[in-house]
Amino acid sequence: MMPLTMVKTGEENTIKKVGGKEETRRFLENLGFVVGGVVTVVSEIGGNMIVNVKDSRVAIGKDMANKIMV
Amino acid sequence: MAVKIALAGNPNCGKTTLFNALTGSNQFVGNWPGVTVEKKEGKLKGHKDVVIMDLPGIYSLSPYTLEEVVARNYLIAERPDAILNIVDGTNIERNLYLSTQLMELGIPVIMAVNMMDVVEKSGEKIHTDKLSKKLGCEVVEISALKGTGIKEAAEKAVKLAESRKAAVVAHEFSKEAEDIIAEVEGKIKGMPEEQKRFFAIKLLEKDDKINEMMTNVPDVSAEIKEMEDKFDDDTESVITNERYVYISSIIGDCVTKNTKEKLTTSDRIDRIVTNRWAALPIFALVMFIVYYVSVTTVGALLTDWTNDTLFAEWIIPGAQSFFEGIGCADWLTGLIVDGVISGVGAVLGFVPQMLVLFIFLAFLESCGYMARVAFIMDRIFRKFGLSGKSFIPMLIGSGCGVPGIMASRTIENDRDRKMTIMTTTFVPCGAKLPIIAMIAGAFFDNSGWVATSCYFVGIAAIICSGIILKKTKMFAGDPAPFVMELPAYHWPTVSNVLRSMWERGWSFIKKAGTIILLSTIVLWFLMSFGWESGSFGMVEELNNSILASIGSAIAWIFTPLGWTNAGEGWKMAVAAITGLIAKENVVATFGMLYGFGEVAEDGAEIWGNLAAAMTPIAAYGFLVFNLLCAPCFAAMGAIKREMNNAKWFWFAIGYQCGLAYVVSLCIYQIGTLITTGTFGIGTVVAFLLVIGFLYLLFRPYKESSSLKVDAKKVVSAK
Repeated sequence: MMPLTMVKTGEENTIKKVGGKEETRRFLENLGFVVGGVVTVVSEIGGNMIVNVKDSRVAIGKDMANKIMV
Repeated sequence: MAVKIALAGNPNCGKTTLFNALTGSNQFVGNWPGVTVEKKEGKLKGHKDVVIMDLPGIYSLSPYTLEEVVARNYLIAERPDAILNIVDGTNIERNLYLSTQLMELGIPVIMAVNMMDVVEKSGEKIHTDKLSKKLGCEVVEISALKGTGIKEAAEKAVKLAESRKAAVVAHEFSKEAEDIIAEVEGKIKGMPEEQKRFFAIKLLEKDDKINEMMTNVPDVSAEIKEMEDKFDDDTESVITNERYVYISSIIGDCVTKNTKEKLTTSDRIDRIVTNRWAALPIFALVMFIVYYVSVTTVGALLTDWTNDTLFAEWIIPGAQSFFEGIGCADWLTGLIVDGVISGVGAVLGFVPQMLVLFIFLAFLESCGYMARVAFIMDRIFRKFGLSGKSFIPMLIGSGCGVPGIMASRTIENDRDRKMTIMTTTFVPCGAKLPIIAMIAGAFFDNSGWVATSCYFVGIAAIICSGIILKKTKMFAGDPAPFVMELPAYHWPTVSNVLRSMWERGWSFIKKAGTIILLSTIVLWFLMSFGWESGSFGMVEELNNSILASIGSAIAWIFTPLGWTNAGEGWKMAVAAITGLIAKENVVATFGMLYGFGEVAEDGAEIWGNLAAAMTPIAAYGFLVFNLLCAPCFAAMGAIKREMNNAKWFWFAIGYQCGLAYVVSLCIYQIGTLITTGTFGIGTVVAFLLVIGFLYLLFRPYKESSSLKVDAKKVVSAK
């Protein structure tokens, strides 16, 4: 298991765990970040990343990306 | 009987485009009661008795964002006759997550799969017949952008609404979860059968806001515990998972994916546009093009034409001869032509330039680039306590502050939004440019650095305010994490871009027609009437006017700022006060005060008078005061609306005016010390203020280690 920030761009990964504060976690879950879902990193700037999850692109900050374990 | 249809769907799924296509210009825009979420209602084209309600874009019916609460309360309390659920065909899986929740409300649902043209192009296939069977509602294919299928979708929605046939929930969770939900449903009393499932699930999710919507709330703690034990997770995650599991199980049947292409066009564009190295240069280039075209070339051309030809050659002389022709009294002609028409005309002169800027911004917004800008800028803005999303309001604010402040609505986090509202108007807007031109011309030989420095002062004010405010109790706390969905890149339609441009431009034109019109009349009255030789009436000598009395009464406030020379400090004071009404007034006020009925946009006629009245340093202070102090009445109105709270409104206005005064004071006092060596109480106060300011800026805060660079800029700006 490693945080999403360590993932190389273009690689497909399966989400193992979503951490963080309850409210943000819920928001991420509603956006499709659920355990077992597939994420692909599209691009990354200084830890902030754009990821592809369930066919939609979501931009997330570094602190959030650190809490998504793959 | 009137039929109500609610449009519901994810953000960026094309809901607004569909709403505009369905209702045309027949819309009513307002706010949802008590919150600053936009409420849009309209009548369906060709159906007078069908009301379409555009709900805010949401990802789920949970209570975590304002939009979700608003949309949910509407659906539960008002119970529309049907829901038209718009689903983005290009990422159908995530969109269906909301759909499964909408089905549970017990309201008839019809699903419109949008962006079918894009789906077909990418080689995918969505089998709507199968989707319809699996979800238990009718499904139609549409393309809101191209306008295909929307009429059919609307007709079907109306028919469904008239039949009042409640949706039957067709999706199913795992056996264990369904059993527990059924148990809870059994406990709910006094509610129609078809609505029970929604409430049962919300009770299981421990959604505390749902209790207010129910007459009696059963105790379901046993069921919650049962579910948590069985699934070894909290109930909300269990249910979220169950939904996604169901969607995944049907998606294979309903959608044939094109497996050949792994990267979509959008992803490929993002690879370049949001690339670690290329992102900022590309962004700078885009911004340069936008401002170059809208300010210097096309915009300047249009503005010059409006000011110099339309108003100066046609309307004003035309009006003059018209009023003289009909034998109108001289004073009335003066009021209408010199006061009203020139005043309002000076403002309307900005409109073309602003509209060009807004066309560009609307294009960048609707093609999807603006969302990337927020992402790119977030890393930088986070350093001084703002979110990347604050950047868009500031960009728009460089045209006009009113739509800029309104654009802050897209920021979900309350603290970030309030801070953005407070700082957006520090960016020099179109109306402040003539003041800059006037001061640069009168004192600094038209030097280009005056205008440039104004933008830096604005940026420095935003950065410092961000840092200082973030350290106060009101704004303390961790910044909200950045999470934002990025829409796929697409070509916007001409009508959408024009509509957005017009909505923003209109708020500016409206201000010209109302506040500025009124203020020029009031100003004209204050200036023309007063006490002369013992009686009240029209005055010959400006120094006897009401305005002069008011100005003299308040001029002492501005004495420490150096607005004193030659006994004409009251004119500066009056100009600054009229600037609070509208910044466009400042140059015109000076013109009137120095007895030139009509002055050029940059006030070239009065440069000599001004230069005699102030030192260059005081003049620069005057300029900075006007840049930073509370914006015009219209923008204050916008701040009040968006803050939605009197205390916060006054805090914002007070902060802006206080900052403007302090900075302007420091510029004058310290600048005077450097140039002339004059040292007095004012200088001491100025130094104390600088020290206090630096303390506020640098006092310990866990995020403040990287801010030294910004502070240097501030000091040099002073």
